[in-house]
Amino acid sequence: MPSVILRDTKLQGNIIEKDSITIDGIIVGDIKAEEVIINKNGNITGSLTADNNIEIGGQVTGDLSSDRIHLNSSAKVRGKLSHRNLVVDEGAQLEIASLTRKK
Amino acid sequence: MFFKSDKKSQDQVHGFSHLGENLFFEGEIDCKGEIEIAGKVKGNIKAKKLRILETGSIKGLVQAENVEVLGYMVGNIESVNIHIGNKGVVRGDLRFESNLSILEGADISGHVQKNKKEKTKRSDTDKVKYLEHNKIAS
Repeated sequence: MPSVILRDTKLQGNIIEKDSITIDGIIVGDIKAEEVIINKNGNITGSLTADNNIEIGGQVTGDLSSDRIHLNSSAKVRGKLSHRNLVVDEGAQLEIASLTRKK
Repeated sequence: MFFKSDKKSQDQVHGFSHLGENLFFEGEIDCKGEIEIAGKVKGNIKAKKLRILETGSIKGLVQAENVEVLGYMVGNIESVNIHIGNKGVVRGDLRFESNLSILEGADISGHVQKNKKEKTKRSDTDKVKYLEHNKIAS
Protein backbone atom coordinates (compact mmCIF):
# COMPACT_ATOMS: atom_id res chain seq x y z
CA MET A 1 0.00 0.00 0.00
CA PRO A 2 1.41 3.40 -0.93
CA SER A 3 2.07 5.97 1.78
CA VAL A 4 -0.23 8.88 2.49
CA ILE A 5 0.60 11.83 4.71
CA LEU A 6 -2.36 14.06 5.54
CA ARG A 7 -2.27 17.73 6.36
CA ASP A 8 -2.49 17.22 10.14
CA THR A 9 0.93 15.58 10.05
CA LYS A 10 4.38 17.09 10.08
CA LEU A 11 7.55 15.11 9.39
CA GLN A 12 11.06 16.31 10.01
CA GLY A 13 13.64 14.08 8.41
CA ASN A 14 14.37 12.10 5.31
CA ILE A 15 11.89 9.71 3.71
CA ILE A 16 12.79 6.75 1.54
CA GLU A 17 9.83 4.96 -0.01
CA LYS A 18 10.08 2.19 -2.63
CA ASP A 19 6.45 2.72 -3.58
CA SER A 20 4.37 5.79 -4.25
CA ILE A 21 3.93 8.54 -1.64
CA THR A 22 1.18 11.16 -1.48
CA ILE A 23 1.72 14.18 0.73
CA ASP A 24 -0.78 16.76 1.94
CA GLY A 25 1.16 17.69 5.08
CA ILE A 26 4.36 19.47 5.99
CA ILE A 27 7.72 17.83 5.34
CA VAL A 28 11.11 19.25 6.22
CA GLY A 29 13.60 16.89 4.63
CA ASP A 30 14.39 15.01 1.46
CA ILE A 31 12.08 12.50 -0.16
CA LYS A 32 13.09 9.58 -2.36
CA ALA A 33 10.37 7.43 -3.87
CA GLU A 34 9.12 5.73 -7.00
CA GLU A 35 6.40 8.34 -7.35
CA VAL A 36 5.85 11.54 -5.35
CA ILE A 37 2.52 13.36 -5.36
CA ILE A 38 2.25 16.64 -3.45
CA ASN A 39 -1.32 17.77 -2.95
CA LYS A 40 -2.66 21.28 -2.51
CA ASN A 41 -1.95 21.57 1.23
CA GLY A 42 1.45 19.92 0.93
CA ASN A 43 4.47 21.97 1.89
CA ILE A 44 7.92 20.53 1.32
CA THR A 45 11.27 22.00 2.24
CA GLY A 46 13.81 19.61 0.77
CA SER A 47 14.64 17.84 -2.44
CA LEU A 48 12.37 15.35 -4.17
CA THR A 49 13.78 12.43 -6.14
CA ALA A 50 11.45 10.04 -7.92
CA ASP A 51 12.07 7.20 -10.35
CA ASN A 52 8.95 7.71 -12.43
CA ASN A 53 6.81 10.67 -11.63
CA ILE A 54 6.54 13.82 -9.55
CA GLU A 55 3.26 15.68 -9.39
CA ILE A 56 3.11 18.99 -7.51
CA GLY A 57 -0.02 20.82 -6.42
CA GLY A 58 1.42 22.43 -3.30
CA GLN A 59 4.50 24.30 -2.23
CA VAL A 60 8.00 22.99 -2.69
CA THR A 61 11.29 24.65 -1.87
CA GLY A 62 14.05 22.36 -3.10
CA ASP A 63 15.29 20.48 -6.11
CA LEU A 64 13.15 18.07 -8.12
CA SER A 65 14.45 15.12 -10.10
CA SER A 66 12.33 12.60 -11.96
CA ASP A 67 11.54 11.14 -15.40
CA ARG A 68 8.31 13.05 -15.54
CA ILE A 69 7.46 16.20 -13.60
CA HIS A 70 3.99 17.68 -13.61
CA LEU A 71 3.40 21.07 -11.96
CA ASN A 72 -0.30 21.68 -11.41
CA SER A 73 -2.00 25.06 -11.52
CA SER A 74 -1.82 25.40 -7.72
CA ALA A 75 1.90 24.60 -7.53
CA LYS A 76 4.44 26.96 -6.02
CA VAL A 77 7.93 25.71 -6.69
CA ARG A 78 11.35 27.14 -6.05
CA GLY A 79 14.42 25.13 -7.02
CA LYS A 80 16.19 23.22 -9.78
CA LEU A 81 14.34 20.71 -11.92
CA SER A 82 15.89 17.74 -13.69
CA HIS A 83 13.57 15.66 -15.91
CA ARG A 84 12.90 14.03 -19.26
CA ASN A 85 9.34 15.25 -19.50
CA LEU A 86 8.01 18.44 -17.96
CA VAL A 87 4.40 19.59 -17.83
CA VAL A 88 3.45 22.95 -16.33
CA ASP A 89 -0.18 23.93 -15.93
CA GLU A 90 -1.46 27.46 -16.26
CA GLY A 91 -1.30 29.30 -12.94
CA ALA A 92 1.74 27.58 -11.44
CA GLN A 93 4.03 29.98 -9.60
CA LEU A 94 7.63 29.12 -10.29
CA GLU A 95 11.12 30.22 -9.52
CA ILE A 96 12.98 27.40 -11.17
CA ALA A 97 15.93 26.37 -13.26
CA SER A 98 15.04 23.48 -15.48
CA LEU A 99 17.18 20.87 -17.22
CA THR A 100 15.88 18.27 -19.65
CA ARG A 101 17.96 15.10 -19.57
CA LYS A 102 18.76 13.41 -22.86
CA LYS A 103 16.88 10.23 -23.64
CA MET B 1 -2.44 35.46 -4.90
CA PHE B 2 -4.24 34.59 -8.12
CA PHE B 3 -6.00 31.53 -6.82
CA LYS B 4 -7.76 30.56 -3.64
CA SER B 5 -5.32 28.24 -1.94
CA ASP B 6 -5.78 29.43 1.62
CA LYS B 7 -8.87 27.63 2.80
CA LYS B 8 -8.83 27.78 6.54
CA SER B 9 -12.38 26.41 6.80
CA GLN B 10 -11.36 22.83 5.99
CA ASP B 11 -9.88 22.07 9.38
CA GLN B 12 -11.31 18.59 9.65
CA VAL B 13 -9.14 15.85 8.30
CA HIS B 14 -10.87 12.70 7.18
CA GLY B 15 -9.04 9.41 7.43
CA PHE B 16 -5.51 8.91 8.64
CA SER B 17 -1.95 9.12 7.46
CA HIS B 18 -0.32 5.87 6.43
CA LEU B 19 3.36 5.08 6.12
CA GLY B 20 3.60 2.06 3.83
CA GLU B 21 5.66 -1.04 4.45
CA ASN B 22 8.30 -0.04 1.91
CA LEU B 23 8.91 3.26 3.62
CA PHE B 24 11.90 4.15 5.74
CA PHE B 25 11.85 7.38 7.68
CA GLU B 26 14.40 8.86 10.03
CA GLY B 27 13.35 11.92 12.02
CA GLU B 28 10.48 13.38 14.01
CA ILE B 29 6.79 12.85 13.37
CA ASP B 30 4.18 15.23 14.73
CA CYS B 31 0.65 14.19 13.89
CA LYS B 32 -2.41 15.99 15.24
CA GLY B 33 -4.68 13.18 14.11
CA GLU B 34 -4.35 9.50 13.38
CA ILE B 35 -1.34 7.80 11.85
CA GLU B 36 -0.66 4.21 10.86
CA ILE B 37 2.84 2.87 10.39
CA ALA B 38 3.63 -0.22 8.34
CA GLY B 39 7.20 0.76 7.54
CA LYS B 40 10.36 1.55 9.47
CA VAL B 41 10.66 4.69 11.56
CA LYS B 42 13.69 5.82 13.53
CA GLY B 43 12.88 8.80 15.71
CA ASN B 44 10.31 10.24 18.07
CA ILE B 45 6.62 10.26 17.32
CA LYS B 46 3.90 12.50 18.67
CA ALA B 47 0.36 11.72 17.64
CA LYS B 48 -3.21 11.64 18.81
CA LYS B 49 -3.66 8.07 17.67
CA LEU B 50 -0.81 5.83 16.56
CA ARG B 51 -1.08 2.34 15.14
CA ILE B 52 2.03 0.28 14.51
CA LEU B 53 1.01 -2.43 12.06
CA GLU B 54 2.47 -5.96 11.95
CA THR B 55 5.12 -4.97 9.40
CA GLY B 56 5.82 -1.72 11.24
CA SER B 57 8.96 -1.09 13.24
CA ILE B 58 9.74 1.92 15.41
CA LYS B 59 12.82 2.99 17.28
CA GLY B 60 12.20 6.02 19.42
CA LEU B 61 9.95 7.64 21.99
CA VAL B 62 6.21 7.59 21.40
CA GLN B 63 3.88 10.15 22.96
CA ALA B 64 0.21 9.81 22.10
CA GLU B 65 -3.33 9.51 23.39
CA ASN B 66 -3.94 6.10 21.89
CA VAL B 67 -1.26 3.64 20.91
CA GLU B 68 -1.77 0.26 19.30
CA VAL B 69 1.29 -1.93 18.85
CA LEU B 70 0.78 -4.83 16.47
CA GLY B 71 4.37 -4.76 15.25
CA TYR B 72 7.83 -4.02 16.62
CA MET B 73 8.62 -1.19 18.97
CA VAL B 74 11.90 -0.25 20.62
CA GLY B 75 11.61 2.68 23.00
CA ASN B 76 9.27 4.04 25.61
CA ILE B 77 5.57 4.65 25.11
CA GLU B 78 3.72 7.41 26.96
CA SER B 79 0.03 7.39 26.28
CA VAL B 80 -3.45 7.54 27.80
CA ASN B 81 -4.39 4.17 26.35
CA ILE B 82 -2.03 1.45 25.20
CA HIS B 83 -2.93 -1.74 23.40
CA ILE B 84 -0.43 -4.45 22.51
CA GLY B 85 -1.59 -7.04 19.97
CA ASN B 86 -0.76 -10.75 20.04
CA LYS B 87 2.17 -10.28 17.65
CA GLY B 88 3.31 -7.06 19.25
CA VAL B 89 6.90 -6.76 20.42
CA VAL B 90 7.94 -4.00 22.82
CA ARG B 91 11.41 -3.30 24.14
CA GLY B 92 10.89 -0.36 26.42
CA ASP B 93 8.71 1.11 29.13
CA LEU B 94 4.96 1.47 28.96
CA ARG B 95 3.53 4.47 30.76
CA PHE B 96 -0.21 4.82 30.51
CA GLU B 97 -2.88 6.94 32.21
CA SER B 98 -6.12 5.05 31.72
CA ASN B 99 -6.07 1.70 30.00
CA LEU B 100 -3.53 -0.94 29.14
CA SER B 101 -4.46 -4.07 27.28
CA ILE B 102 -2.09 -6.81 26.22
CA LEU B 103 -3.16 -9.80 24.18
CA GLU B 104 -1.85 -13.30 24.69
CA GLY B 105 1.36 -13.80 22.72
CA ALA B 106 2.67 -10.26 23.04
CA ASP B 107 6.38 -9.99 23.77
CA ILE B 108 7.24 -7.21 26.20
CA SER B 109 10.29 -6.35 28.20
CA GLY B 110 10.32 -3.10 30.12
CA HIS B 111 8.67 -1.34 33.00
CA VAL B 112 4.92 -0.94 33.07
CA GLN B 113 3.59 1.98 35.02
CA LYS B 114 0.28 3.74 35.43
CA ASN B 115 0.73 7.49 35.57
CA LYS B 116 -1.96 9.53 37.25
CA LYS B 117 -1.84 12.80 35.43
CA GLU B 118 -5.20 14.07 36.72
CA LYS B 119 -4.38 13.17 40.31
CA THR B 120 -3.94 16.79 41.45
CA LYS B 121 -7.14 17.90 39.75
CA ARG B 122 -9.10 15.03 41.18
CA SER B 123 -7.88 15.55 44.75
CA ASP B 124 -8.76 19.22 44.42
CA THR B 125 -12.30 18.47 43.38
CA ASP B 126 -12.53 15.86 46.13
CA LYS B 127 -11.40 18.44 48.63
CA VAL B 128 -13.99 20.92 47.43
CA LYS B 129 -16.70 18.29 47.65
CA TYR B 130 -15.52 17.40 51.17
CA LEU B 131 -15.58 21.05 52.26
CA GLU B 132 -19.01 21.59 50.70
CA HIS B 133 -20.24 18.49 52.45
CA ASN B 134 -18.94 19.81 55.80
CA LYS B 135 -20.67 23.15 55.19
CA ILE B 136 -23.98 21.45 54.60
CA ALA B 137 -23.47 19.22 57.63
CA SER B 138 -22.74 22.16 59.93
